Amino acid sequence: MAENGAKATVTLTIDGVEVTVPSGTRVIEAAEHVGVVVPRYCYHPGIPTRPAQCRMCLVEVEGRPKLEPSCTLQAADEMVVNTASDTARTARQSVIEFLLVNHPLDCPICDAAGQCMLQDYAYVTNQLESRVDEPKRIMGRDRISDDILYFADRCVICTRCVRFMRDVAEDDSLIVAQRGDKAYIDTFPGRELDNPFQGNIVDVCPVGALVHEDFVFKARAWDMDAAASVCPGCPTGCNVTIDTKENQIVRVKPRHNAAVNSWWMCDHGRRHLVMTNRGVRAEVPLIRDGEQLRPVDWATALDWVAEQMEALGSPGGSAVVSPDASNENLFYVHRLLERLGVAGAAFRVAQGDTAALPTVPTLKLRADRAANATGVELFGGCRVDGLADGSEGNGSAVSGSEGGALVVLDDALEGAGEDFGGAADFFLYLGTRLPGAARNADAVLPIATFAEMDGTFTNFEGRVQRFHQALRPPGLARPGWMVLSRVLARLGDGEAVNEVRGAFERMVAEAPAFAGLTWDGIGLKGAPAAGSAAAAAAAAGIHGPQKADA
Amino acid sequence: MPGDVKVVERPRAESSYVRAAAKGMSITMRHLLSPNKKTQQYPDEKWELAPRTRGTHRMAVHEDGRAKCVACGLCPTVCPVNCIKLVPAEDENGERYAAIYEIDEFRCIFCGYCQEVCPVEAIHLGVHYENAEYSRERWVYDLERLVEQEHPVTALWDPQDPASQ
Repeated sequence: MAENGAKATVTLTIDGVEVTVPSGTRVIEAAEHVGVVVPRYCYHPGIPTRPAQCRMCLVEVEGRPKLEPSCTLQAADEMVVNTASDTARTARQSVIEFLLVNHPLDCPICDAAGQCMLQDYAYVTNQLESRVDEPKRIMGRDRISDDILYFADRCVICTRCVRFMRDVAEDDSLIVAQRGDKAYIDTFPGRELDNPFQGNIVDVCPVGALVHEDFVFKARAWDMDAAASVCPGCPTGCNVTIDTKENQIVRVKPRHNAAVNSWWMCDHGRRHLVMTNRGVRAEVPLIRDGEQLRPVDWATALDWVAEQMEALGSPGGSAVVSPDASNENLFYVHRLLERLGVAGAAFRVAQGDTAALPTVPTLKLRADRAANATGVELFGGCRVDGLADGSEGNGSAVSGSEGGALVVLDDALEGAGEDFGGAADFFLYLGTRLPGAARNADAVLPIATFAEMDGTFTNFEGRVQRFHQALRPPGLARPGWMVLSRVLARLGDGEAVNEVRGAFERMVAEAPAFAGLTWDGIGLKGAPAAGSAAAAAAAAGIHGPQKADA
Repeated sequence: MPGDVKVVERPRAESSYVRAAAKGMSITMRHLLSPNKKTQQYPDEKWELAPRTRGTHRMAVHEDGRAKCVACGLCPTVCPVNCIKLVPAEDENGERYAAIYEIDEFRCIFCGYCQEVCPVEAIHLGVHYENAEYSRERWVYDLERLVEQEHPVTALWDPQDPASQ
């Protein structure tokens, strides 16, 4: 195999199919190119070490006397690999039989059932009867960290978790304690598992041995619906899968994206995402009726808002937007502000601790605790510390006591005074929730959170990433772009948009920072925006709404 | 009377009711005296039900009275009419149990899949048919009620003919 080092590619035959792969590729990865997934436990594409200890991926190579572990075997020219020969299959069956000797077979109460590699492979090998008469050894369960439970009896000792902590997180905190059938995973004596990325050991576990405590007994695998999404916890924008059951988020898992988060995500993101949709939500449009805010249907609310805006003309004013708003929402707010003559919106970003995963340079928990601060900046937003705290002269100081129009997009308005917005000619509040500071609003339009709609975020380096709807919005809440496109359509500006593709395409056509992107082109992996960090000068160029029209 | 009505004269012997009445009464008398009676004196007498009769559910319990259900969720999954509501939870020993387990017996079609699929032999159909209630709500059986049911449980196969031949 060493002779092939100089060659760029090698060609081998796997299960009768010829495939050409870059030299150095392992057979288990080459097999995936021809659609053959070799059973595996200890091999994980995101973990660099390959101990070849589970013996599940043994394959037959013609001309070799014994089976070879395909996770460490380098593909070589003229190699003929057979992953499903009788010998390979028998070997696999024996491994499964050994694993089942002590496995409790508690699939009915195991949270991994339905997504368990032991269950899948045992099912394939069709061993319905155990040949073992001895009693099973019982170890029980252990709390391996403050939020992760370890069910030792279910463990297949693949050491993925140990190697994730050691080789990916570079935090040597997990070990395999004892040997043989008494082996189990534990922390070093006197040490605790306390790493900001430790949640990933649950995701790499091929069986149900490691389970998040907040997911234990919550949902069966087949009860859940999954949606591809993006974590809004920080500007990194880790790609995630949101698992929901009965319109509740029950679990968040990282989704592979080599350019952003590789296979991983941080624990802050998991917790944050589950909390995003909690709390009392704004569910019905409200319009000002004398002293009161009156609940009305959408048509009435939109007509009324459009009427008010028509009468208002272009009075200038101020705006506060949330850095968690999607690009499409920001675009439509931007259009609205242009009509009103408001120059640039203020936004505030909460700050938090940072954390880095040493072996994945792009994956960091960043200090900004918001998904789309970059997007707000691309639309000319001005970062401020507090509501009345904007620096002089940039047009973004919002104290809530200015005249003119005041537009707030889903900002919680912490620190706003009793009379916030009281002096404004027209105070429009678009929000997922209804904070007390919105009491002076002339109209409150309930909008969906990011988990309840489709859209895009721009991450810290300007990568535009799509997320998909995971939940139904509560009550009458609708996506912000859907609402605002209707307000603008009533004012003769564009058309009412019913799906996000239309909103995105209009944004791309009208906002230079996003020029050149296509909805399909972004796909599930994202694409860099024209006005991203790589082209920071271009980003500065669209500051100010006037130029966006050019 | 409009038009012509055709009047057919029948022989008296044919049109008399006496003969037919006598014939009917003779059948009645024959059954009254016959030893081969079919009428069942319900509710004093009750049907002997087959062991595989499928009636309202019953939950099996452990010796300490806890329901055997481990809240695995297979019965609501397999139920073709979605009549089972199950909310799993963790008890003080860290074990999985059904915090809420309700069967809507009105919606149930008594197919018996839940009993068949149960991995711990907890939920059973019952050999039972007297289910009358005064309100519809009473037809949603909660876990407590399922545990209290006392009728015999349905056999999944006939003990005399396990292979259904």
